[in-house]
Formats: sequence, C-alpha cells, structure tokens
Amino acid sequence: MKELRDLTRKLLADGDAGVVIGWEEGRRGARPAFITTPDDADKLIFDARCVHNLANYLNPRKPQVKALGKPAVVVKGCDAKAVAGLLREAQLTRDRVILIGVRCGGVVQTPEMPAELTEATVATRCYGCDVREPKLVDHLVGDARPEPPVTAALDRRIAELDALSPRERWQFWTSQLAKCTRCHACRQACPLCHCERCITDKTQPQWIESSSHLRGNFAWHLTRAQHLAGRCVGCGECERACPVGIPLSLINRKLQLVVKDLFDYTVTDDPEVPAPIGAYAVDDKQEFIE
Amino acid sequence: MARIGVFVCHCGENIARTVDCARVVEELKSHPGVVHSEDYKYMCSDPGQALVRKAIEENDLTGVVVCACSPHMHEKTFRGAAAKAGLNPFLCEMANIREHCSWIHEDRGEATDKAIDIGRTIIEKVKHNVPLETIRIPVTKRALVIGGGIAGIQAALDIADGGAEVVLVEKESSIGGHMSQLSETFPTLDCSQCILTPRMVEVLQHPRIKLHSYSELESLEGYIGNFKATIRKKARSVDEDLCNGCGDCQAACPSRKIPSEFDAGIGKRSAIYVPFPQAVPNIPVLDRVNCTRFKAKRKGIEKDVCGKCQEACLKGAIDYEQEDSFVTEDVGAVVVATGFQLYSIGRDQPAGLKGYGEYGYGDVPDVIDGMQFERLASASGPTGGEILRPSDGKPPKTVVFVQCVGSRDPEKGIPYCSKICCMYTAKHTMLYKHKVHDGKAIVFYMDIRAGGKGYDEFTRRAIEDDGAQYVRGRVSRIYRDGDVVKVWGFDTLSGEQVVVDADMVVLATAMRPQPGIAELAQKLSISYDEHGFINEAHPKLRPVETNTAGVFIAGACQAPRDIPESVAMASATAAKVLGLFSADELEREPTVALVNEQTCIGCFSCEQVCPYGAIEHVDVCDVEGHVCGVVARVNPGVCQGCGTCVAVCPSKSVELQGFTDEQIYAEINALGSW
Repeated sequence: MKELRDLTRKLLADGDAGVVIGWEEGRRGARPAFITTPDDADKLIFDARCVHNLANYLNPRKPQVKALGKPAVVVKGCDAKAVAGLLREAQLTRDRVILIGVRCGGVVQTPEMPAELTEATVATRCYGCDVREPKLVDHLVGDARPEPPVTAALDRRIAELDALSPRERWQFWTSQLAKCTRCHACRQACPLCHCERCITDKTQPQWIESSSHLRGNFAWHLTRAQHLAGRCVGCGECERACPVGIPLSLINRKLQLVVKDLFDYTVTDDPEVPAPIGAYAVDDKQEFIE
Repeated sequence: MARIGVFVCHCGENIARTVDCARVVEELKSHPGVVHSEDYKYMCSDPGQALVRKAIEENDLTGVVVCACSPHMHEKTFRGAAAKAGLNPFLCEMANIREHCSWIHEDRGEATDKAIDIGRTIIEKVKHNVPLETIRIPVTKRALVIGGGIAGIQAALDIADGGAEVVLVEKESSIGGHMSQLSETFPTLDCSQCILTPRMVEVLQHPRIKLHSYSELESLEGYIGNFKATIRKKARSVDEDLCNGCGDCQAACPSRKIPSEFDAGIGKRSAIYVPFPQAVPNIPVLDRVNCTRFKAKRKGIEKDVCGKCQEACLKGAIDYEQEDSFVTEDVGAVVVATGFQLYSIGRDQPAGLKGYGEYGYGDVPDVIDGMQFERLASASGPTGGEILRPSDGKPPKTVVFVQCVGSRDPEKGIPYCSKICCMYTAKHTMLYKHKVHDGKAIVFYMDIRAGGKGYDEFTRRAIEDDGAQYVRGRVSRIYRDGDVVKVWGFDTLSGEQVVVDADMVVLATAMRPQPGIAELAQKLSISYDEHGFINEAHPKLRPVETNTAGVFIAGACQAPRDIPESVAMASATAAKVLGLFSADELEREPTVALVNEQTCIGCFSCEQVCPYGAIEHVDVCDVEGHVCGVVARVNPGVCQGCGTCVAVCPSKSVELQGFTDEQIYAEINALGSW
C-alpha cells in the first residue's frame, strides 16, 4: 500500500500525471478514486474488494476524466487487458497514460463483500487467470499474493447450458433477457464499448428496437455479444452493473471459449497481438462454410 | 415524392413461363410511389430499352425498377438507358425475377407472388437511392509484367509496341521460361528456341521495356492506374553494368558438376553460369549454394578460398559482397504471367499430393519426365540432340511414354487435365522415331485429347506415319530389372495385362502452378483456386482479368495452357492494359464505401479487414484547428465495394453507396409490409 501511495505522491508532485485513478474506501466497500493532489494519496487502497475495471476511464470519450490531465491508472491484470484492447483499437496511445500495475491475488464478486476470498465470494473470472502480475505497465507495485480459491462455477454452468436442448436453452435465455430494461448499464460499464454512437442508438434506420421488449432485447444482447467476440477481457463489469441480474458473464465466457476453439485466440494484454477479426491465418477453421 | 417506373421483362419464355408477368405489372402498379408499370417480351432489346427511356421522359420518373434478370447481366444496359433519358443511372435498379425466381420455381402462382415481392423490395430500395457520380482517377501509363516466359514476353512486347512503358520482372537470371527449354513445339515441329530467342532479344532491345532479371516482386501497393511496385533484385554477385557477357568466369569456375536446372538435371553447369548460351540478359549469376567460396564461408573458414571467377573477370564485375537491393516502380497495371512447374513425382510431396513412388522416378535412372526428354532431344541439350538414355548413354530401342502422370487422378490430389501432355507425348514419339529409326515408341494413355487447330492431325501423324504404338490403359508399376526397365500396364481395349521391357520411360507429368503463387496472389490481392491457379474474374467473359481491378493474368498461371493459348492470353492482357491506358483518367463505379466521419471512432477495424488497402487515416480538427482525433476515410479509387468494412464497423459508421443501411432496411421491411 505504501509503495502505491508513495508512487502516487511522486507522480502528482512531479507533474508526471494530472490524476491517479485507483480505489479508495467508500460507504459500501471499495470504490474508484480520482486523486489529483499529493495530499490525497493516502486515500488509495488495494485489496480483493477492488473489483472495478478502471480502464473504463481511459475511454477517449469521457471528457470529465480527460479534463483532469494525463491519467495514471492502477490496473490489475484483467484491467491491463482492457487497456491493451484500447491501444489495439487506436483509442489510446501508450504515451498518454501511465499504468501502475498491481499484483493481484483475485477479487471478490462485489466491492461491498469482505476482502477475504472464499470459494463462495471469489469472482468467477479469477478462475484460470493468466495475468496475476500485469505485464503492460510502467510501474509494478505490491507483493505477490497467494492463489485465489478455485471456482469453476462459470464453466460448469456453461456446460450445463450446452447440454440443454435448443428449445430449453431458448427458454432459459428468453426468461433472462425478458428482464432487461434496456438501461444499457452493461454498455456504459464495459471498457471496450467505446463507440461515439452505439448501434442501438442509430435511428436511420433503427436496426435495434430501443424499447424494453423481448425482440429488441435479443437483438441488443446478440449484437453486444458479437461486437465483443474476441475483444471481451472478461472483467465482468457488465454483469455487475446490470440492475436486473442478467448473467452476461455466461455469454462473454462462452464467446471466449468459441473464439479460442475457432481461432486459437485468447485475449491478451499485449497490444501488438491483433484481434482475431482483423487477423487472417491460413489454418483458420472454415467448417461453417461447408 | 417518388415517381417510380416498373418494367417487367418476360425474357422470352425464361420468366413468362413460370411468372404471370401481367399480374406482376398489375400488382406493382398500385404500390405506393409507382406511377408507371408495363411489361415487354425482351426488355433488354432496343425497343424494350426505348420503352424505359420513353417512360422516364413522359412521366418524369425519379426511379426505375427493371424486373428481369441478375444485375450482373443487364444492370449496365438499363442504367445506360436511364442515363440516356436524363436520369442518374444509379437511380435504376434490377429486381432479379429470373435467377432468383422463375428459373428455380415450378408453381406459377407462388412464383408470381414471389416475383411481386421481389419487385416491391426493390421499389422500396429505389425510393432511398440517391444520384451517384462516376469516380475519376488518374492513370500511370506503365505496366508491370511478372514473369518472363513466353506469356510475359508476349504481353510485354505487345504493350510496349502499343506505346506504353513496361517493367518486366523475371525471377530467373534469364527470360525465356519453359519454352526456352523445349526441343520442338507441337503441332508444327518448329524449333522452340528458333522462334523464341528473337522475341527475347526484342525484349532486351525494346526502348520501352525495362527488364529486371533475377528479381522478384516484393510488394505491391496502390490501386488500378496507380500501383507502386517494390522489386527485389536478388544478389547475383555480378555487376550488371560492368559485365559484358564474355563467359570467362564460367570457364574459370572449378565447380562444374552441378545439375543444370535448365537441362532439367540431366546436364551439368558451373557455379557461376548463364543457364543457356542465348540467355537474355547474357549476364551470369553466381549460385551461392554451390559456390566453393560461399560453401567455405558457411563452414566457418575465415580465409577467402577460390575466387577464380573474380580473377578471370577482366571487367572486375564479380562482386562477392553484393546484397539484395530494392527498386520501386510506379505502374498503372499488372500482368501476372508466372507460368507453371512440373509435378515433381518423386518421393517428397507437398501437402495433399501423394506422388508416384510406384513409377520409380528418382530411383530408376532411365525413368525421366517430359522436360528431361525435351533436353535429350534438343540440339542445345547435354547430348547434342542425340537420344541417349541417362544410365549408360546408349540409344534406347524401346521407349515407353506414360500419359496422365498426376493429371486426372483425384486419388493422388490432382483432378484436372494438364492439357498439353497428349500433344507433347505425340511430339516426343515423333522426335524419338525421327532420331532412332528402328526404335519402338509405346504410349500408355487414358484418352487422347487433341482439340485444337491441327492437333488431332498431329497425333494421327505420330501413330500412322511414325508408327507410335498407343495402348489405352494405365501403368501400375515401373521398376528396374537388370538392364531393362519393366513397365506393367493394362490394355483396356484388349482386356489384357501388358508387360514391356523398356530401355527408357518418359512420364508426362502434370502441370502445377509455380511455387510461391499463394504468396504472390496475396501480395496482389487476387484469388487462386484449390490447386493454386489464379482465378479469372469470369471464366467465360473476363478470362484475363482478376478480381482486383488493374491486375491481369496470362498463360499457365491461370490453368494448364499451351504456347498458342498463352500467347493469345498475353495479347489479350495487352489489349486490356492498353485499353486501360487509352484515357488519361479512369472511370470507376461509385458503389464504394463511405465513412461517416461524425460517428467514426477511428478503431480502424476496417483497415485490418480491407483486402484492398483502401482505408486511409484522416486527422479531425476542432474549431481552432487543433487535431483532436483520427478517423478512417475510404480511398474511392482503391475501394472495390466489397462491403467487408461495413460488416466489421462496430458503430455502423461505414456504408456502401448504393447499398446503404437505409436501402437494405427498406428492402427487408418491404417483405413484411404488403
């Protein structure tokens, strides 16, 4: 912790960064913090409750963050993958952000949970994490943390759904997506949903109905999933933001598995590795053509 | 307010047989926005087009829908007619009620209903059409020809004679290609080199042809009329400007036992060499793989060894330190004439091919392929034109020729016919019989395919005048038995097994595309088929064009071709290239992609997927002129209108002109609305 706070103080005092984005103690657990003066550096914390993906604040279309000056962002490994995504998609240049990596031992599902990780509280995305020490960083702070408890709940649930008949699966997703109120919190929370004008806001023509109706809901969630295929870093922010509890991580994780199978691609924190939609390999599977 | 005219074509009986055209006219007459509707037996005929023109003028139409065939067929025709009547041609659309309807349905009632629906979708689309203007782009009147075989030579000469400049790139040290290796040519038996070498010299001396030999295309950027080609000039270790082609280096070279590629491996050459005496340019190349000096270097010997060629060269042209160099050439068109390679039937096979181990090629010295026989028969070959078998140098008294080795054998990976083998095998039997009068020529064949001017007469001549013995059947095994080569075959006409004690066997192996063709195709953004032959834009109507505008194909890179066909194709490409160069500006269809720069977020997913490199980066400035972002812009000269960027754009900020979201949406909506 001291290491992080000292670094923050230095970055702000030296004028290297205009703002350091990290986490602080809030009324309901950890919450994002925007530190702009060295004196506030001691507010910063990092523990298993720091679930938020702060890469979201690097979206070039967030003027209120831009106004604070050059950002330094505290990133976990999964957050660094999102930063890599922004770099890959030309939404950010590496020299315009300072990345403070933290060694992560897994996080809990929501920031208000106690910081102790158990099999019941650990976030599903921490299963199989390959970036517990982020590589895409300017500074790396904190000590190595122990492995989080293992939970394969997400993959188990996907296997269960895959085992259903198409009709049963349709019923499951109908019941889930019927709940959607089209508040688009999933989109706002996603660090990689960075379009100026989202396709669901396009009205001429209106491809996706915007009212809360099963037909439009399906169109929206299918489109959202397709747009994130091969890009989603699996940070789970969309699911956490959803006020009606749609299990979006199931869709995101399933897509990760499909992309892995079809293109042998896993989202990485190396911005130089092209996303599968823009990469051509001679041995790409083409079974869908036959 | 839309004023649409609908024109329903009977296409003779093609549409009218299954679609009630009168009912289509009647139903569409009452579609909102339609002010005119009529049918005619042949709308594409002159009187048919006159109807369209008349209706546009009389009714002041704002859009035209022709319910007829595929837009591929007659869109141009009707857009032309619309333009003549003063309507922007892009306000005219085809509703395909032939390929998409009448040809594929039987029930007249249902087919008519569907034709009406198709008509409605296009009417709704046309309401959203906007006038588009033809795109004009400048053109560089200079052509790049890749490959200096007979096709490339012909294309280069024809283009240069037509007044345009040509850059000819040949990967070997001399132009000439496979034709220069041949002994005689069918069906006239004229000497291959005698007719080819004057053309080669012409290339060298032509004031408008620039030859890069021992060079390869490194990359191609740009678009039709405006390509930039980067050419890799491979290090030949000889200074092209200093060398006068005296041949002293070749005479001085002590490494003289290297199998000659030009002689198909049966002759020998030195390490520094010109492939054949008539080579163009007559500048040797040093084969660094086999050169003693370079071999020693690779072994780690510090001291310079040999150097005999450098000592012998009075001009000081030998440069051991030479490295690959690059030149860029601005060109407006590209002709691909990379030719073929022979199917290597030995043990080592590329993926998907099995080879012919049972024929003993590579193991039995007297089993050779067609090109090796050409070199044996050639007056400039290693035997001086005497037919002598490789094992003991004796004249073979019985020679078996096996056709279709590799070709027409899907089991072994090549289903296509190589086309030239029937003819060259007949030629081989004649060349053999003319030189070995008491010899016996036996040909195993599947079918004799001799379509072509004077071709069948030629094979008849081989059989009837020169006594070649043709056995219809395939050969199962070839092996060495003491002094003879045993050939086991089957005569399907007599139903008997045939065993021949041959002195030599000649295998007519299949034609395959050149190695590296896939990489070249990718550099040029052109497609190739499952075998690696370059795809033409249309198998019948655009045989020398590719799917990339400004890139043309000639010769055996497209499919197995003989010399007359390759030359004809080459001249055809020259006509296409000169046609392209005839105007100072090119006209392009405006159905290209357009970026909405207001909503583009500059993620450049479009750039990653664009097969034509049409996406450019454009700075966006704020009111004070400061750069505040970068967005994508489509270069309309490069864009081919494929629409891949439209599909990949996450914010739907790219649209294809003539196929905008609004148009497509209107089409889809029309299906459910009436």
